Amino acid sequence: MSTLVNTQKEIKNLKSFSTAAERFEGSHLLCPGCAHSIIVREVLNATNDNLVVSASTGCLEVCTAIYPHTSWDCSWIHIGFENSSTAMAGVETMNKALRNKGRISEDTPEPKFVTFGGDGSTYDIGFQWISGCFERGHDFMYVCLDNEVYANTGGQRSSSTPIGASTTTAPAGSHSYGEKRQKKDIVSIMAAHGAPYVAQVAPNKWKDMVKKIQRGFDTKGPVFINAMSACTTEWKFAPNQTIEVSDLAVDSLVFPLYEIIDGRELNITYRPKNIIPVRDYLGAQPRFKHLFKPEYEYLIDEWQQRIDKRWEFLQKREEIRM
Amino acid sequence: MSKPISEMGWDELVPGAALYTFDGDIDYNIADIQPEDRMYSETSSKSMSVGDWRVIKPVWNSETCIDCQNCWIFCPDTSIIARNKEMKGVDYEHCKGCGLCVSVCPTNPKSLLMFNEFETVENALSQWPEKKKKGE
Amino acid sequence: MNKRVMDLKKVEVWDGNMANSQALRQADVDVIAAYPITPSTATVENYCMFHANGYVDGEVIMTESEHAAMSACIGAGAAGGRVATATSSQGLALMIETLYQASGMRIPVVLCLVNRALAAPLNVNGDHSDLYLTRDSGWISIDAFSPQEAYDMTLMSFKISEHPAVRLPVISNQDGFMTSHTAQNVTPLEDDVACKFVGDYLQVNALLNFDKPVTHGVQTEQDWHFEHKAKQHAALMGSKKVILETFAQFKELTGREYKLVETYGDADANIAIVCLGSTFETAMLAIEQLKEEGINACVVAPRVFRPFPLEEIAEALQGMKAIACMDRSAPGGTVGTLYNEISGALINTPARPIISNLIYGLGGRDMTVAGLKNIFRTLDKEAREGKLSGKIQRFIGVRGPELSFYEAQGVQK
Repeated sequence: MSTLVNTQKEIKNLKSFSTAAERFEGSHLLCPGCAHSIIVREVLNATNDNLVVSASTGCLEVCTAIYPHTSWDCSWIHIGFENSSTAMAGVETMNKALRNKGRISEDTPEPKFVTFGGDGSTYDIGFQWISGCFERGHDFMYVCLDNEVYANTGGQRSSSTPIGASTTTAPAGSHSYGEKRQKKDIVSIMAAHGAPYVAQVAPNKWKDMVKKIQRGFDTKGPVFINAMSACTTEWKFAPNQTIEVSDLAVDSLVFPLYEIIDGRELNITYRPKNIIPVRDYLGAQPRFKHLFKPEYEYLIDEWQQRIDKRWEFLQKREEIRM
Repeated sequence: MSKPISEMGWDELVPGAALYTFDGDIDYNIADIQPEDRMYSETSSKSMSVGDWRVIKPVWNSETCIDCQNCWIFCPDTSIIARNKEMKGVDYEHCKGCGLCVSVCPTNPKSLLMFNEFETVENALSQWPEKKKKGE
Repeated sequence: MNKRVMDLKKVEVWDGNMANSQALRQADVDVIAAYPITPSTATVENYCMFHANGYVDGEVIMTESEHAAMSACIGAGAAGGRVATATSSQGLALMIETLYQASGMRIPVVLCLVNRALAAPLNVNGDHSDLYLTRDSGWISIDAFSPQEAYDMTLMSFKISEHPAVRLPVISNQDGFMTSHTAQNVTPLEDDVACKFVGDYLQVNALLNFDKPVTHGVQTEQDWHFEHKAKQHAALMGSKKVILETFAQFKELTGREYKLVETYGDADANIAIVCLGSTFETAMLAIEQLKEEGINACVVAPRVFRPFPLEEIAEALQGMKAIACMDRSAPGGTVGTLYNEISGALINTPARPIISNLIYGLGGRDMTVAGLKNIFRTLDKEAREGKLSGKIQRFIGVRGPELSFYEAQGVQK
């Protein structure tokens, strides 16, 4: 059982949160309305500790570190697409080695190690690397920026793409309704590694997210955070609707907010006052617009059933505390 | 002062294309110091402007604002400046005009509204709508 | 230096893998991230045994693949400490993208590469396919022909790699099985002498230095990429100076002298083979035995494969009338690497020897003394007759009909 010691600053409300000194600068090249940067700001502002950050090839990395400009006010490393997690494992291990050998003084406060990767890198090409890091138990936080698509290269499908979404490599057409495969359940998979803490967050529910991020910072060992990143460009809604669409996602329970401790105990951390129909969530995003044609509407019903079933499952798991 | 990077040849660049955020060494915890008190180098993106991405811009009305900080937290471009729990204004150098700040503003009338890029702030403020009645 | 010192004999009997492991131990590496693959596995196993018995103060991470091993090395190296790993063949092929990333990011790493054939078909034995795969990766690459040299080269690799004028990763090569699994006499340095020779790690742009936040691994567009690749190449070419300085310091310490280009044979020999790896030592025996037949031959090997000692190797070959460039790697549809690099080195000099390309020893096929003597006899004939005895590229020692390619054109002297 992990024993949690609170070391992070107290964030009572949004006003006190706003006193944070930003460490993620503007004039990055992310799309107007991009949720990635909202997530990154919430993560970085949740702590005052020294940070080392790594990122996978993807929107975040490409848009925040195009030579000769960096948007990071902390040390940052990108190696490649698959290996941001392993890069951080190397940094974390070197920190251990240098401290053991006395080349970093004991007085230097321990930094926090944070890795950002998109769903492409997390669910697909970098999956083995993350699994290895979690199995070895490195002390770092991995935040998946999940926009359900390979956004940086123009919107190809990933194993995070949900059924019925139209992507460039699984587009909706006269003979297809788009993505045929189910979205991979990455949170369960990472919890199955026995990780001390995994959680699903969404940037619109900032208080829930920041609480989990701070818990993640205080947890010893590997922490996995799956952050919903509503993508204006690939989900095809207007840039000023990012928070609105995120609200629809969590209130329809398409993106339930919960945490799993030590791979066993599940806590649902957000229960919408009014659960809205999945249809409303799908209807807000043109990537699903073909599902509203009469021949594909059955898929919307299947979506609702799937979401309902999963919500039931989450509640049952929460009950039995296993 | 050293040469601007745009004038450097291959022999003068930092090996490995590494970039420094700040000029010189820093002897403080960055998270304890607000950005205006940090010595950013020309290679921090903060030194750049993306203001020319906009065709519409948010204008802030301090009269109706309640400092809730919704706009601060949901700005993807770190362009809503908050200090001492108060909204201070929009950073037009880094604002891309996405309009999220407007969409999350809870006041009635909203304290942030989008206007044409060429509209002056004064004109914009003088055109501020009235409070919306229930059902409008 | 590691807290627990190992008392070594004046002369130890080590295979090439143990030679690597001991050099890594003495170099006080901070993080080793590795994955096992034949025939390099024992380099890592021996090191893990040292670690388990308290002889290593640094950390060891056994990653889930070779790509992850090099990725962790790059992260740890960028964090600000000494890193190393070991691999062969398929593992090297798997980590190939990370090799380019490491050199582009200018992170010092030492890779003990135990040279093994590349699949398919799958083969665990020694040849130079993996060495050749690293050619353009931007790493410094040095070659050991024996366990003694493996120990010496691996130790020196750290000093070269971390030098402030270099800051490039280094590959320490040796032949799989022929060197890695062959035990020979090795005269090691004492722990404190070795550690002092390698020196302390110098931090440059370290991620763990919070006084100077740094961004590593950027993207460069068409307006910046060329300058950075040019700078990287300049550093690799310039590392020759540091390599020579390191060789000189090592000679002073041990009496063992290494050169950019190693040669063996009479000064007035006019036939030579060019090769890499343990073939050099086999050739030394062949050369001695051929003196009885009145044949004077020599063997030339680039000790330092990258940066390629173009001028030095051209100099060493100026007096030759016939040269066989022996490549121990499947040539993939053209002449072999050494043939290309040697011919390229000689074309801008007055020398116009007969040059042939021999493909040999793939997948651990032996290159015997007798076989080399035959090669030298053929070179002798070619030198006397002033023309190639056959086509330019020939496969040596393969069962079946003669396999040769490319006709020489034009009049030969």
